[in-house]
Amino acid sequence: MVISRRVLLGTGAVVVATGGLLTAAERTHRLDDIADEVGLDPKPLPDPADTRIVRRAADESAVLLATAEATASAHPAVELAPVVAIVREQLAAVGGASAATTPAPSPDAPAAVAALAQALSSAADRRASDANRAGSPALVRVLASMAAGHAQTARTVRRLR
Amino acid sequence: MTVPDALQAWLLLEHEAVWLFPVIGARRDDLVDPATVSFEAHRDTRDGLLARLQQLGVEPSAAELTYATGPLTTTAEARAAAQSLEARITAACLTLVGEAEGDLREHAVRNVRKAALAEQTWGAEPMAFPGLP
Repeated sequence: MVISRRVLLGTGAVVVATGGLLTAAERTHRLDDIADEVGLDPKPLPDPADTRIVRRAADESAVLLATAEATASAHPAVELAPVVAIVREQLAAVGGASAATTPAPSPDAPAAVAALAQALSSAADRRASDANRAGSPALVRVLASMAAGHAQTARTVRRLR
Repeated sequence: MTVPDALQAWLLLEHEAVWLFPVIGARRDDLVDPATVSFEAHRDTRDGLLARLQQLGVEPSAAELTYATGPLTTTAEARAAAQSLEARITAACLTLVGEAEGDLREHAVRNVRKAALAEQTWGAEPMAFPGLP
């Protein structure tokens, strides 16, 4: 069975987009009106727990990207561009748009790189935990794959030390 | 795909790995150590899958007598064969992840990561979404 990455990532984006819609509806109590305004046909709503999982993944990925970018900027001699590109791709897939701000990385390059590797490892553990709890099979696969990608990039960063 | 089907698909690849890594170790002196580590890991995974399928009352798929791995005459070719197989295992585990629940899903999620790291051990560059096309 071949799983289409585009379909899976699209599913994740739908969860995020609809999650935003749900938040608006919770505030205004006008879910049907809002759905009409954005042209949505009647569809099963995503599991609210899945929506929370995707939002958390997006928020944490934004922080992770900010950390990677700040580390790369502070230590240009460390080859972090591929890692930054991967984290940016992951952030986009879960519906995140821009990196949050984070504390400045350590001026000591090995310490800063070690901190980034630890952040990636921690993210891998959290996405794996999310994959174990999520309901949608497509979302479960995206999260499990993302966890594996974080683990790969964490190993890559550790090797740069 | 059902859970037993996904487990069988994964098992077939573990059979192939248990065959491939000793061949790599036998043909490439410089790869004996990593091939041994990989063989032992895949042997244990295969045995675990055999037990899981038997617990489900499913007859596990048997190994082939041999596998078409392509030439393994250089280190680069051997690494490429190993990397390709680990990538297929990552994808197979990811298929199971979406079908399984509870303990089996947790096991599959752990093995997606394990296989993705094994891909990297054999030369793959890190990816945003290992196992997804």
